[in-house]
Amino acid sequence: MDAKQDPRAATDAGTAGRDDRPAYDWSAFPRGALGAVSVPGLVMSASFVGFGALMRGFDFELGVGLFMTATIWALPGQVVMASMVVQGASLVAVAAAVTLTAVRLLPMVVLVLSEIRVPRAARWPLYVMAYFIAVTIWMISNQQVHALPRSKRLPWLLGLGCTLMTWMLVMTATGFLLAKALPPVLAACLVFFTPAFFCVSLFDAIRERMDLFSIVAGAGLAPVALWIAPEFDLLLAGLIGGTAAWIAGRIGGRRT
Amino acid sequence: MTGELGLYALILLLGTLPTYVWRFVGVLVAQRLDPDSEVLRWVRAVASALVSALVARIALVPPDLLNSTTLVDRWVALLAGVAAYYAARRNIGIGVAASVATLFAAQLLV
Repeated sequence: MDAKQDPRAATDAGTAGRDDRPAYDWSAFPRGALGAVSVPGLVMSASFVGFGALMRGFDFELGVGLFMTATIWALPGQVVMASMVVQGASLVAVAAAVTLTAVRLLPMVVLVLSEIRVPRAARWPLYVMAYFIAVTIWMISNQQVHALPRSKRLPWLLGLGCTLMTWMLVMTATGFLLAKALPPVLAACLVFFTPAFFCVSLFDAIRERMDLFSIVAGAGLAPVALWIAPEFDLLLAGLIGGTAAWIAGRIGGRRT
Repeated sequence: MTGELGLYALILLLGTLPTYVWRFVGVLVAQRLDPDSEVLRWVRAVASALVSALVARIALVPPDLLNSTTLVDRWVALLAGVAAYYAARRNIGIGVAASVATLFAAQLLV
């Protein structure tokens, strides 16, 4: 498909440079920072404060928490990895579990990029952008990106991503330090932000019955899996519970 | 010393790499893959179940900082968050706030 057949690309990416190859309009990059000030951004802040506190709870150093936030940039993976390392799980089990939690980033990347990609433009910005895509950016993208012309979307979202990452590093450190200073009752609340956010987000992501089955099956199998194979419990609960939910969803038909 | 550095290397190898791989694949298939394909649905189901199991595990076998809460406190708080989320017309912020507030209140009641 070329630009002639895609009217959106022809009009929105009209800011093409000297040649007729469409390009991104990087003037939108700084304004993306404003998108961080939003409800999803606030919840994300709270859950990274929670992650910082959790890292303190696991007796890691602050640097480890910051490094995880900057290099993994996906909270479920970070929490899974931290808790498995503390458990003393095998390296293979850790890698497999992190891989599985990260698989959910794939559809998000596909969905976000399909909304912000300028056809035929340079590809390297896509690989940079993908590094920043996670649950919250996906949600903000869904809400805000449509108001922008296509050539400005990726730069805007990348500006947002850079701002969020800088801010979440501050939040991770804040949570780590607060967890040390706070009375136990408040520290417990801080740590609880992360599971609370995951729990509510799981329900928020429900699009069809299968999704609800997955949540129930995963939580229901967790104690059994923990008892049978404490090193592989998340993998076991995820694979068995998820597959069961998928089959049940197929049998029940794809209804909401 | 090597243990310290080893931990950072471990994060890059077992955390960063497996995570970015999926983002990379996402870029590659962004043009082609049907988001409704059965493979992706299965993947989504497994990922949801895994995160759900993670939440359940934190509630069942909590990190030390949650020692001031009971098992019942934690489960009630999670359910209260989900209930508040739906009561507030699927508002994530209110759901999370209600969940944490419930855990706070539950600790004070004991």
